[in-house]
Order: sequence, then structure tokens, then C-alpha cells
Amino acid sequence: MKFTLNIWRQNGPDERGRLITYEAPDVSPGMSFLEMLDGVNQRLLGNGEEPVAFEQDCREGICGSCSLVINGIPHGPDQGITTCQLYMRRFSDGASITIEPWRAKAFPILKDLVVDRSALDRIMQAGGYISVNTGGAVDGNVILIGKDQAETAMDAASCIGCGACVAACKNASAMLYVAAKVSHLATLPQGRPERARRVSAMLEAMDREGFGSCGNQYECEAVCPKNISTRFIANLNHEYLRAGIVESGLPSEPESPHAESS
Amino acid sequence: MGLAMTGLGLVVFVVFHMLGNLQLFEGPHALNGYAAFLRDMPIALWAARIGLLSMAALHIGLALQLSMRNRRARPVEYTIHRYRHASIASRTMAISGMALLLFVGFHLLHLTAGVIDPGFADRRDPEGYRDVYGKVVHAFQNPFMVVLYLAGQLGLGLHLSHAIASSVQTMGFEHAALNRLLKAFGPVIGLIVVLGNVAIILAVFLGIVR
Ligand code: HEM
Ligand code: SF4
Ligand code: FES
Repeated sequence: MKFTLNIWRQNGPDERGRLITYEAPDVSPGMSFLEMLDGVNQRLLGNGEEPVAFEQDCREGICGSCSLVINGIPHGPDQGITTCQLYMRRFSDGASITIEPWRAKAFPILKDLVVDRSALDRIMQAGGYISVNTGGAVDGNVILIGKDQAETAMDAASCIGCGACVAACKNASAMLYVAAKVSHLATLPQGRPERARRVSAMLEAMDREGFGSCGNQYECEAVCPKNISTRFIANLNHEYLRAGIVESGLPSEPESPHAESS
Repeated sequence: MGLAMTGLGLVVFVVFHMLGNLQLFEGPHALNGYAAFLRDMPIALWAARIGLLSMAALHIGLALQLSMRNRRARPVEYTIHRYRHASIASRTMAISGMALLLFVGFHLLHLTAGVIDPGFADRRDPEGYRDVYGKVVHAFQNPFMVVLYLAGQLGLGLHLSHAIASSVQTMGFEHAALNRLLKAFGPVIGLIVVLGNVAIILAVFLGIVR
């Protein structure tokens, strides 16, 4: 197969970037998108030119580093997969493909297609610790968790922090990411004690990093490689409201008559 | 959150405003009586007006602040950006909102304050009430007004079709089975308001109500 690629090239964070056209002449349909780019880079190196910088690691859809906007859609035309899981047979022969980096103020471009996504890590850090006792590992099933609760937490926990939700959002909001992390921990007993503090801290961190706010357009869900549901965003809003009430200092009743006072 | 709450307050108003206006179909006595009934309670009327105006001002202020922040969050635009799910209405909230602002301003000057087309402002009907009915009928016999008001309803419909369901999500309501209902609920309320208002405009224009 043959493709014409328009690739964003940018030397550094403060440089001006632009789209440059490259030809990819012998691509096999079974190649992944990243393997196709490897081929392009081989040719560039052969010609003594600077290869295209792009981020990648696991190449099996679990690490969340590959981050390309392909023809205007983060992770490309297929739903529920990462860029590294996209195969060239998905495109028609001779097609022209435009490749851009994630674009957000909070994700400065480091070089070409590589952006700095550490803002997401700082949001996670702001969330803080969960309460786990030190010492020997706890026996399995000491804390029983309902099946539906476990499944919900697992769905939320499958977020790989790739940032496609931010890239797709008209407002460059990280709401789906924060929603996944907050919901994951607030659904499990281990994450409950810090639940109110965590949600406020993470949302504040999101604002601080310069992400936009959620307009409920659900574009994030449509590009998320892990199909994280926007139901978690409603849940995040609910958690935030709850935190506002808890932190207001109004007297409250314990959640169950046998709960320890805190 | 504030945007959603002030927005929902305004939604409650547009729903009742539309229902009140539908009394046009019951004839001059009903509509003019209703208008007089509202004006007979000056304290409640002015409280409602001030409440509405401050709600609208707050809504617009928050919307502007938010839109500006959101614009700053992506300083460099994509060369190509394709949307897969986001509706046109959801992506044009600021534009439909601005259009609404212009329309509401015109509407207040026209039918409330009577600055535009002052001929009808203080006319009385045979029962001695202010002739709101006559004013409305006169307005919508004019094709220019009809086009303008229909355009306003288009803006309202667009804004509401995203706004209501969006507010439900912003307030944190969600439920595995009820979600579909909640999502449908927004556009349906929007549609009912718009259809009610359009019915009034067209009924007059087509001569069904005279
Ligand atoms: C009859 C008048 C209006 C009603 C009933 C209304 C209602 C609403 C509601 C319920 C929301 C949803 C809030 C959320 O998603 O959390 C909203 C959002 C919004 N409204 Fe209005 N609004 C009205 C007029 C206006 C006007 C005059 C403007 C002009 C600036 C405006 C601009 C906006 C904007 C920019 C948003 C945010 C959209 C987003 O989150 O992307 N609205 N409106
Ligand atoms: S929510 Fe989805 S799109 Fe967003 S960071 Fe997590 S995996 Fe990526
Ligand atoms: S390289 Fe790890 S998810 Fe694509």
C-alpha cells in the first residue's frame, strides 16, 4: 500500500511547527500505524534527515504513551483502540493521512508529535494517598466488595492515562480522566476515607494545570481507547457536590449506626 | 454548576412564559386578563423581573468566563479536527446564547417596553385591560417580525437541546437505566417550548387567530 502523510514537525516547545508531507511507498496492510511510522523514519535516517519523534512503549494498548491525532481524531478512525493497535489495512490505498500531536495548553509539545502529559500525573498526585495498613500483605477477601461495585471500579480503573479525552475535547478538558480516577477510588472501601478531599484536590489541580471545563459533549467517550463511560463524569460531579457538603462542616450523622466516628 | 443552576432557572421561566402565552388561543379576554393579573401584583412582578434579570446576568457572566477559559485551554488549533459525537448544538452554545441575548433584548424592547412599534403600547381593549392580545396579533401580521421571532426560536431550540440534558449531568444525576430517559428529556422540553411559541407566531401569521 502507498500513503501520503502530512506530519506535524516542530523542533521544540517554543518553536513554530508546521505540517510536512512525506511519502510512505511500501506499507503492508498488516503493519500497525506505528510500524508504518518506523518505516518512514528508517527512510529519513537513510537520507540523513531527522526522524519524526513520536511517543510509544508497549505497542499493545496498555501503556497509553502512543498519542497521535490521525485525520482529526485522537487514536484514529476506529473506536476503543490506541494508535498502536490501529492497522494500515484500515485505510484505503493511496490515502493521504494527516498526523498531529495532542493539542492543549496543559500538554506542551516537546518535539514533533511528542507532548508532555505530566499534567495528568500531577493531578493524580494531588489526589494523594489511600488508606492501606502497612505490614504483611492482607489476606484476600478480608474486605468483601460487591460484584457490581468491583466491576464499576474495574471499568474506571481501566483508564490508561493516554490523554485522548483531552485531545478530543473542544475545551481540552481532562474531565473524563479525572472522573475515571476519582470514581475508581471512591467506589472501593480502600479509597473511601479520603474521598471528599481527593475529589476537590484533583479538580483544583485540573484547573491549575490549565485544562478547560466540561461541556458535556461526550467527545471524550467516543475516542477513549478503553471506552470509559461519561457516566463517571456525572459520578465525579456527584462526588464533588458531596465533598462540598462534607467539607462545609455542617454536623452530620454517621453513615451507619455502627460506623466509628472520625 | 452555577451555569447549570442559573440556566435551569431560566428554563423554568421559558416553560411558564410559553404556557402563559398559549392563552392567546383562548381569545383576548383570557390573555389580557392574564396580563392584567400579573401586573396587578407589582411587588411579585418586580421581584420576578429582578430575579430573572440577575439570573440571566449571572448566567451570561459565568458563560463568558467559562468560554474564555476554555478557549485558552487550546491555544493552537488542530489543522483537522473531526467530531465523532459532540452535537452541533453542544459546540455552538456560546453562539446560540449570544443570538438569544440579542433576541431577548429585542423582544423586551418590542413587546414589554413598547419602544419598538410604540403605537400599540398602551392601547386598551373594550374591557379596559391593556390590549396585549391586539399587540401580539398586530406584531405577527408583519412578516419581518415573524422571521425575526422564528429565528429567535431557532436559537432557543438549539441552546436548550443541549443545555437541559447537560445540566442534569453537571448536577451529578445519573442512573444505569434512567440515563437514556434523562438524555431524551432535555431536547423534548426544548422542543415543546419552541413548538408552543412557534404555534402562536404562525397561528397569527396564517390568520388562524385574528
Ligand atoms: C432563555 C435564555 C437561556 C436559557 C434558558 C439558558 C440555559 C442554559 C443551560 C441550562 C445551560 C447548561 C449549563 C451546563 O451545561 O452546565 C446553558 C449553558 C450555556 N449558556 Fe445558556 N441559557 C440562556 C441564555 C443564554 C445567553 C443569553 C447566553 C449568552 C451569552 C448563554 C450562554 C451559554 C453558554 C456559553 C453555556 C455553556 C455551554 C457549554 O458548557 O459549553 N445562555 N444555558
Ligand atoms: S479516560 Fe480514556 S481517553 Fe482519557 S486518559 Fe483515560 S484511557 Fe485515555
Ligand atoms: S504504545 Fe502503549 S498503548 Fe500504544
